[in-house]
Amino acid sequence: MSSLALMRLLESAPARYDAGMRVLTLGRVEQIRDALAEAAAPSPGARVLEIGCGTGAVTEKLVTRGASVTAVDQNPEMVERARARLVHSVPRTVSFIERTASEIDAFPPASFDAVVACLSLSEMSRQERAFVLKWAMHALRPGGVLAIADEVRPRRLINRVLQKLVRGPQAAFGWIIAGSVSCPISGLAEEATGAGFAIRSERRWLFETLGVVIAERGR
Amino acid sequence: MMLQTMFDFAKDALQTGFRLAPWPAEPGLRQIGKPGPLSPVLVTCNFDFTVRRVMRAMRDNDAWLVVAPSSGINVWCAASGGHLGTHQVVTALKTSGVAERVQHRRAMLPQLAATGVIAREVERRSRWQVKFGPVYAKDIPRYLAQHERKTDDMRHVRFGMPERLEMAVTWAVPMSLIGAIALLLFHRAWLLPAVGMVWLLAIAVFTIYDRLLGQRFLLLALVASLISLGLTAIAGGGLAALIAAPLASTAISALLTFDYSGSTPIEGGSHFKEARWHITLDTERCQGVYFCWQVCPEACFETREDVRKVEIAHSDRCIRCGACVVQCPTDALSFEGEKGSRIEPATIRRFKLNLLGQRKVEAGREALEIDGES
Repeated sequence: MSSLALMRLLESAPARYDAGMRVLTLGRVEQIRDALAEAAAPSPGARVLEIGCGTGAVTEKLVTRGASVTAVDQNPEMVERARARLVHSVPRTVSFIERTASEIDAFPPASFDAVVACLSLSEMSRQERAFVLKWAMHALRPGGVLAIADEVRPRRLINRVLQKLVRGPQAAFGWIIAGSVSCPISGLAEEATGAGFAIRSERRWLFETLGVVIAERGR
Repeated sequence: MMLQTMFDFAKDALQTGFRLAPWPAEPGLRQIGKPGPLSPVLVTCNFDFTVRRVMRAMRDNDAWLVVAPSSGINVWCAASGGHLGTHQVVTALKTSGVAERVQHRRAMLPQLAATGVIAREVERRSRWQVKFGPVYAKDIPRYLAQHERKTDDMRHVRFGMPERLEMAVTWAVPMSLIGAIALLLFHRAWLLPAVGMVWLLAIAVFTIYDRLLGQRFLLLALVASLISLGLTAIAGGGLAALIAAPLASTAISALLTFDYSGSTPIEGGSHFKEARWHITLDTERCQGVYFCWQVCPEACFETREDVRKVEIAHSDRCIRCGACVVQCPTDALSFEGEKGSRIEPATIRRFKLNLLGQRKVEAGREALEIDGES
């Protein structure tokens, strides 16, 4: 059962992050990362902007697929860890920027073929997400791909109840230990549509609690 | 109106009692009164209590309030613990939409955010000029009326009776609740005396421990044990109670005095190595911008207009919050550790405090070392 309420806790200790994420998502996180990388870098040479790279797991997959990646994360320890993970990647087609997602407005218009965000949007407020999606659109070339994955609110009542039951205690624990928790997004695809993206596909995993949305900027 | 006041009061009480838990308010832009394009822009944390407090203090004014995402934690704790820093303020100023509402780019931050937010970095990255206003929300109207000039009293953290009692409540509510649940399950007869003991000790430690007992733990434990023993005897407690009472009071005292130094501005991080750090000034580097003097909550600095330098006139008052070190643009200030080692300003800017008031320096290094090996 998925519950990423502990995500923030794991984040406070990047060394434990990857192992923890695998447990929390019952291994599904790996499939999700693959789905994102596949959509964002269908062929070598894609220019990809990654928002919230964390420990660099998706970054690594993108680079392996031949993409050149600009990865942004505001947590210095995460950036450090991602750098260490990709230090041997040849050729060096990845750059890390220790910045907030709100600063992606600094990139020139249409300078990327794809924008990826894996489990980072749920850590932002709604307003922040709207801002980030708007500027992701700006940074994408026409026809460019938006590939996002995050914890979402299930559509079916039974799954929503399940999510609440599992999240509750974990959230309380995360609250006490790390001081905060992330919040599932109720309409991931809707928010992308709201920012002007055209949805290509939407998939749900793990009792509908993990959503992957692939969308594109219209031409 | 009456109902609203009562609701507000209930929320205040709840959020004071459970202050150790975060109470997040939705980050973003709020309007106070009827603000226009020239109205002042205030930034604060997203601890719900603080947001309501600022709105209440400003109720007769027009202003924009930008609520930054600080994980639902109050300004000082969030800034010192890495939850309210340059990133969060840049994010809030850029994504809240305030730029479209005003014609200026000046924002006021609470002074206590200075341990985490690097003012000049915010300016560079968001094009907003930020200034540290007063420590307390209730002083903001006066500060604005004085054309954004801070008087000495607006700069200093007070730790008088109201603040001390507030902290005692904050500590005693969750602790007595935990104790009560445990005793409900195992030994109901001890429930009331135990809860009473938690409250009495909490109030005693936060109000008189530093003033009357000179922060001597053994003295506190002795007095607490004797009093609890006496009360138990008077109440006709059995042998078990007579043994448990002094033990419990000593244990609670130990817990309290441990927590107390991290949650009060009396002394900073007293259990740790940092307690022996002291603030030092490289006078050569000081260019007399006085940011340190502006943000010091304990009035450690004095300005020397004749030579355009600051001096650390009262280092004894320093609580090692690090605000001055973080803000100094020329790195003239730093902490000096044991054996005269210098703790670099970059370290203070990057590594924040944990719940016990300890800087995560070692933890951070360790993590990096582990990375290197893997």
